[in-house]
Amino acid sequence: MNNSLKSSVPTDREVILGILNNSEDTLNKLYKAYYAMVLQFILNNNGDEDDAKDVYQEGIIILYNKIKAGNFELSSKLKTYIYSVCRRIWLKKLSLNSKKTGSITDYEDVFAVEEDVENHEEKDASFVKMQSALDHLGEPCKTIIQDFYIQNLSMQDICEKFGYTNTDNAKTQKYKCLQRLKKIFFQP
Amino acid sequence: MRNDLELDAIIEDYLLGKLNEQEIEAFEKLRLNDATIDHKVVSHKFFLASMDIFAEQLRLKEQLNQIHSEIDVEGLASTLRPHPSRVVQLWRKYKSAIAVAASFVVLSLVSIYSIQHSTQQAERYRQLSNKVNNAIKTQNSLIRNIKHNNATSDKPNNQNSFGGTGFAISTNGYILTNLHIINGADSLYVQNSKGESFKVKSVYTDPQNDIAILKISDKHFSNLSSIPYTIKRNTSNIGEIVYTLGYPKDDAVLGEGYVSSKNGFVGDTTQYQVAISVNPGNSGGPVLDNNGNLVGIISGKPDQTEGAAFAIKSKYILEAMRAIPQDSLGVNKLSANKKSLLSGLKRTKQIEKIQDYVFMIKAY
Repeated sequence: MNNSLKSSVPTDREVILGILNNSEDTLNKLYKAYYAMVLQFILNNNGDEDDAKDVYQEGIIILYNKIKAGNFELSSKLKTYIYSVCRRIWLKKLSLNSKKTGSITDYEDVFAVEEDVENHEEKDASFVKMQSALDHLGEPCKTIIQDFYIQNLSMQDICEKFGYTNTDNAKTQKYKCLQRLKKIFFQP
Repeated sequence: MRNDLELDAIIEDYLLGKLNEQEIEAFEKLRLNDATIDHKVVSHKFFLASMDIFAEQLRLKEQLNQIHSEIDVEGLASTLRPHPSRVVQLWRKYKSAIAVAASFVVLSLVSIYSIQHSTQQAERYRQLSNKVNNAIKTQNSLIRNIKHNNATSDKPNNQNSFGGTGFAISTNGYILTNLHIINGADSLYVQNSKGESFKVKSVYTDPQNDIAILKISDKHFSNLSSIPYTIKRNTSNIGEIVYTLGYPKDDAVLGEGYVSSKNGFVGDTTQYQVAISVNPGNSGGPVLDNNGNLVGIISGKPDQTEGAAFAIKSKYILEAMRAIPQDSLGVNKLSANKKSLLSGLKRTKQIEKIQDYVFMIKAY
């Protein structure tokens, strides 16, 4: 498993170009290429597989967003970048849970990525806010909003799915839901 | 409430670019005049942007989860989990550092070894030359002792290696050389011009004329083709051009000169004096004339005179050969009757022909 993962490690250039072109294959390769590295780090530093998954996905998302934003300069190997980011995230989580962070077992080189991680945290806060707003919305509003804004279904589809007599009714329902969602979302 | 909903719909259509030009114009006018509407537009824009980001991240997360489900997490985790053994843990942690250190150690060992090896060689070389020097001095004093009718020199020979030259006197591995080279040696080897070594044993020694005959006793030795040189029966005249091939170093060295005196050291009639500059290691080398006749064997040189050497006269070679059973030498032995294969050849061709018959003698 380990070897087969390593053999398909994409080059750093490949990854950046692939992500800019929305290549699912590249994302797949990227994810599989460095997962073992982060898993090893987390497992050996008071974490379990689930922690590893969360941290690693967050790390990949940070990298993904950074590349998408177009301001990613390859000043180091991607591997080092991912490791540094994941390490930073995990250290933060450890200190939040007031677990011991005294002796961290490192497996790779590390460089400073605090800025990227902080930036991501801000973004993530808005993500979490939207998520909790949606959760508070309740059904069927949550699904209608998700279908329209996330799944990009047309009002016609939504109308049929929820059994509204006509699209106008569906639209009215959607805007009612939207109003409530915005209210929750913009709550301080 | 109804109006609010309609307003929201218009704002969203406006932001998503679904309105036509007239509607946009009308709406922008409305927005300019009404600060509350403007505020609503801005906040909805922000909301839509948040929603977009949210949607994108959600999709990405889904994708990552999908990929994650393809990974054999259990298998990976079991190999990567902190190992109960501290040694394995340390190994994993520092394996790259250990690899670097190990290669460093290997590298330094190799270089130390090679340095030692080369210095060893240099030392051996020095030893060799020293010892051969000693050997020649011993030989010189040996001659002097004979002259004074004393017993042969009993100077104990050191156990270190000696080097000299010898040449084949038969095709089946009999080699003639100086006795002083092999005197007191534990084991004897000869090395040919190709660098192949063969073990030899001494089969005949003549302390009076400083001659020894060796026999190659190595099963890897294959017979030589017929001996190119012959023995000169008559004594050579002063002024005859002669040359010798010897091993004063690891490669054969040619020395050329002429017979400069009919007698050797302090009037020794068994030797010639030849004007060839020889070095330690040349001892035992054949002295040949232009026609490829064996005139003598280099055996020593005077301590004080430069550029001169002594060579045992060729008739003593014949005497020595007669002393060993004739059958054992085989049919293709060195003789005085045949015509030399070297006569009429250029010197370079002659050397080419004889170099396979001249050996380096190594005595330990």
